[in-house]
Amino acid sequence: MINRRHFLTTVAIGTASAAALAACGNGGSSSGQTGSAEKPVTINYTWWGNDDRAERTRKAIALFESKNPDIKVNGNFTDFAGYWQKRATEAAGGGLPDVMQWDLSYLRDYGQRNQLLDLGTVKIDTSAFEKSLLPSGQIKGKTYGIPTSTNAFAVYYDPAKLASLGIAEPTGKWTWSEFQSFLKEVGDKGNGTLFGSTDFTGVWWQFNIWLRQKNIQAFTSAGKLGFSKDDLKTWWNLNSKLRGTQALVPEDRVTQLKPKSPFGSNVSAAEVTWDNFMAGYLADSGAKQLKLVPVPSDDPNNLGLFLKPSMLMVASAKTKFKDAAARFIDFMVNDPEVGQIFKTSRGVPASKTQRDGTTFDGADKLVVDYEKSIEQYLKDAPEPPIVGFGTLEASFGRIASDLNYGKLTVDGAVDAWFKEAEDLIKQNA
Amino acid sequence: MTQSPTLSRRQGHSGTALPRKSRQRGADARAGYTFLLPWLLGFIALTVGPMISSLYLSFTNYNLFEPPKWIGFDNYATLFQDERFLQSVGVTLSYVVFGTPLKLAAALAVAMLLNSKRRGQGFYRSAFYAPSLIGASVSIAIVWKAMFGDSGPVDQGLSFFGINIGGWVGNPSMTMPMMILLTVWQFGAPMVIFLAGLKQIPGELYEAASMDGAGPVRKFFNITWPMLSPVIFFNLLMETIHAFQIFASAYIISNGDGGPAGSTLFYTLYLYLRGFSDFRMGYASAMAWLLVIVVGIITLIFFRTSKSWVHYSGDAK
Repeated sequence: MINRRHFLTTVAIGTASAAALAACGNGGSSSGQTGSAEKPVTINYTWWGNDDRAERTRKAIALFESKNPDIKVNGNFTDFAGYWQKRATEAAGGGLPDVMQWDLSYLRDYGQRNQLLDLGTVKIDTSAFEKSLLPSGQIKGKTYGIPTSTNAFAVYYDPAKLASLGIAEPTGKWTWSEFQSFLKEVGDKGNGTLFGSTDFTGVWWQFNIWLRQKNIQAFTSAGKLGFSKDDLKTWWNLNSKLRGTQALVPEDRVTQLKPKSPFGSNVSAAEVTWDNFMAGYLADSGAKQLKLVPVPSDDPNNLGLFLKPSMLMVASAKTKFKDAAARFIDFMVNDPEVGQIFKTSRGVPASKTQRDGTTFDGADKLVVDYEKSIEQYLKDAPEPPIVGFGTLEASFGRIASDLNYGKLTVDGAVDAWFKEAEDLIKQNA
Repeated sequence: MTQSPTLSRRQGHSGTALPRKSRQRGADARAGYTFLLPWLLGFIALTVGPMISSLYLSFTNYNLFEPPKWIGFDNYATLFQDERFLQSVGVTLSYVVFGTPLKLAAALAVAMLLNSKRRGQGFYRSAFYAPSLIGASVSIAIVWKAMFGDSGPVDQGLSFFGINIGGWVGNPSMTMPMMILLTVWQFGAPMVIFLAGLKQIPGELYEAASMDGAGPVRKFFNITWPMLSPVIFFNLLMETIHAFQIFASAYIISNGDGGPAGSTLFYTLYLYLRGFSDFRMGYASAMAWLLVIVVGIITLIFFRTSKSWVHYSGDAK
């Protein structure tokens, strides 16, 4: 039979341990500043990406190790969303990996808070880089990130899918409403099996480009929002007639396909995104060919486009192997053989040395040609966005998704996003 | 060790057995504490320490990178103006309120089936317990996601019967039933405890009831339920606390963002996102402490109300 005292003790212990909040961090450690071929130092390198990028990165690491027998590189990767949560945990515990692939969105968060190594203090050759690109990796005169490559926004489409529906391939000289009619035509003819694209108004960078087309800055130099609620309302209302139609991929499909994209899953015929997604899309979808054209604009002379560092290489401020880290970064951004391995899957190589040493053909040539074709429309690369931008970018997508689920009206969505943005800017002020 | 006069006097009465026993007891205690030490150290370093520091952080604007600044009750005050926070409270409460009773009902029903004498009961007990062993793992959440996804087995099975819901994973109104099914399916732990409780109910009670002509329903409510009430209470308490803490399966099924449309934004998931995605660890700590307090209050309420329906053996009642 069950005895009261015995029983209560068990319950009490159970409750106490269940209510316990515990956290633990881990810090890697090893000794020595430099290594030798007999006793190599090991640096940790982490990146985000799919299996395709993992394979290419492994090849690059193997090549680096064969050329630098005194350094071993321990590689590790996750998907983009989980990547930043993991870095935050590591930063809090003081154990960021020595070298990391980085995104412009998070450069200020970590750079301004002294988590990243000032790469000006180590030896990395940046002579082969466009002078206009390097400021993207700099904050207040200090270099925290070296761009591996550049990317630009583009509209992807699958020519085979368009042909099967009897739709002419777009030329890329189009207004927003022409682009929308195109999506609608795909949706109508695709009849539930093939949709136009995802709701492009849910993508922050596309909004940023649209603002640039109207000569509006996304952020002021003081770190405030440069656009108004009305601007965002106009933007999200742009697709109000398309939402819920076959022009756009239904939101529940988008959710279910994650972490793959509808375009990579052959659910849509077009997608607006960065041009370096080509390799990933080809691998995911198995399509023979995918093509790129410029984004729509109502002003044919201002496409609002810019070259952005598609990713940067950074090092942890706490790394014990500054020299090894610098050599690895230098190798990853400058070595022509690395260019041959990655082609355009990281974007078009930013270093001229690497770019010239890489042969681009097939899909990679399309990406390089695309960036050449828009050269005349390119404006300055954006500076690293405000602190907390990664959060804002994510909530932009999340709120746009709620909009597509019909959980929010456009006005409600705009209010929700502005509330979060203003709260965040206040927090980080 | 010095011997007390009392002890030596007793020694005279009962020979040499006692001092050896007492010395033995001292050694036992020392051995006991020695064996306890690793746990105790761990408890202090990994549980009590972080809890105290999180209590402190909950009054600061700690952002993981910079030293925390004291901001008093600001975090607690802003919580209630945060729509995402309120949404996460709603999601979690509906999970606790619907999921826990269903899980316990399933556990009790299966425990009663497995309590009868039948060949191969050992096998059945293991089989029914298995989901709980693997239930908390990441792989099950992934399997669940695939099962309830577009054209997954569940979708196809339901279509066969003419029910077309499509994938549950992408449908904000179907994710909660899916999460509840996942927890109900993991009824193994409370089931084992129920089973142990059922085994302790003397068979004579049922025999006597049968003699008096009681049917199975009557027997359940007049014998099983009151006799089992301490176990039911224990399971209810544990499972409720457990349900408040759901995290891993929600994280995996929603790709870590609490979607679609915030329908799986459980309290702990939002706490995690606030802390590690938005770098607002002070805010997250405040959320954690609020959860501890609320779970504490609910536990207290359970204990208070238990007096009216939980019967312990040996009680005067």
